[in-house]
Amino acid sequence: MARIVGGIGCSHAPSIAHSYDKGQQRDPMWAPLYEGFAPARDWLSQLRPDLMIVVYNDHMNRFFFDAYPSFALGVADTYPQADEGWGTRDLPDLAGDSRFAWHLARSLVEDEFDPAICQEMTVDHGIFSILPLLARTPWPAPIVPIAANVILHPIPTPRRFFRLGEAIRRAVAGYPADLRVLVMATGGMSHQLHGPRFGFTNPQWDNEFLDRIEHDPQSLTRLTHQDYMERGGAESVEVIMWLAMRAALGTSVRRVHRYYYAPMLTGYGLIVLEGTAG
Amino acid sequence: MEPFPPGATATYGDAPIEGTTVFTGTRSQQGYRINKLAMSLTDPANRAAFTADERGYMHKYGLRQTEMMLIERRDWSGLIAAGGNVYLLLKIAGTVGQSLLQMGAQMRGETLEAFLHTRPGKAGGAGGRKS
Repeated sequence: MARIVGGIGCSHAPSIAHSYDKGQQRDPMWAPLYEGFAPARDWLSQLRPDLMIVVYNDHMNRFFFDAYPSFALGVADTYPQADEGWGTRDLPDLAGDSRFAWHLARSLVEDEFDPAICQEMTVDHGIFSILPLLARTPWPAPIVPIAANVILHPIPTPRRFFRLGEAIRRAVAGYPADLRVLVMATGGMSHQLHGPRFGFTNPQWDNEFLDRIEHDPQSLTRLTHQDYMERGGAESVEVIMWLAMRAALGTSVRRVHRYYYAPMLTGYGLIVLEGTAG
Repeated sequence: MEPFPPGATATYGDAPIEGTTVFTGTRSQQGYRINKLAMSLTDPANRAAFTADERGYMHKYGLRQTEMMLIERRDWSGLIAAGGNVYLLLKIAGTVGQSLLQMGAQMRGETLEAFLHTRPGKAGGAGGRKS
């Protein structure tokens, strides 16, 4: 039987991709970020999961408003990198696991989640910006991507993301093969990318979120989208995707690592957890 | 259990948030032409076509005169007000050689240099925290 062996919640950002591609790992501003992610990379390389389920959002690269899915599940065996408007980066495509992904599709629908099921899916910086900080190439395990709408309101509620995580947990438990599964969610912490409030960050709120995602995630489902946008900036509402990762780990967790750094436009956050509820 | 106070909903209503333009269905309908044009710039051939003839390209996407002028002026605040989504406007900016930081400084009404001075990472002492 498959089981979930760990979870990662982290920011994603084009700026991380740019710094990586420019080789700024030792740049004074960027070095703390790479050092902060190193323990997660070491943990992941020892964990050696067989599969990674990643909840993230696409930034108008694969999906457009002509038909915008609230949830979209990839069931392909390969996910090429999306061209976001300035060309692709020198990184290998992501391998998928269509067999598991179709199982996940069926299990989610059985659980009354009804995602758009995608046999072709490009993936953008929602996964590609952060993956090189967490693993070296070739990528350590196949990925099953779940893209969520956190851009066009009405977006799914925080509680919906929590329930998605619970549904992922049930789907993994119901898979006959003996897979060790990592669940990951990426989404920016405080940031706002438009208007007079451009550049807004709120490290105090971000750290409170990191506390609560570990110890009291249910309380985060009782906040409204408006609460999230007021506290962290409009675009930071995407951090609610982390609730899916947290719920997938079960009721109690052990924290492996936590990191936070807010040098520019956003709070770069990271939490690594292992479920302890069996 | 009622999770929210009476009258409050998990999903966003229309309550204003200072300095913020929440991307609602109304805005998405309003900005559809601009956003659709921007989406097309994920294709390098389209970027080349836009660069070669901005007006012609904008006509092809049915933009209104006022929308074309906002793009020609690189007026990012005006484009947000016209229903542009920032993730899509970023593709227009990239194609015309502007960065997110330049867009942001303009939207705040500052020079890029002045904006960068407000950033901990540029002013020094941002500090990473491990716990």
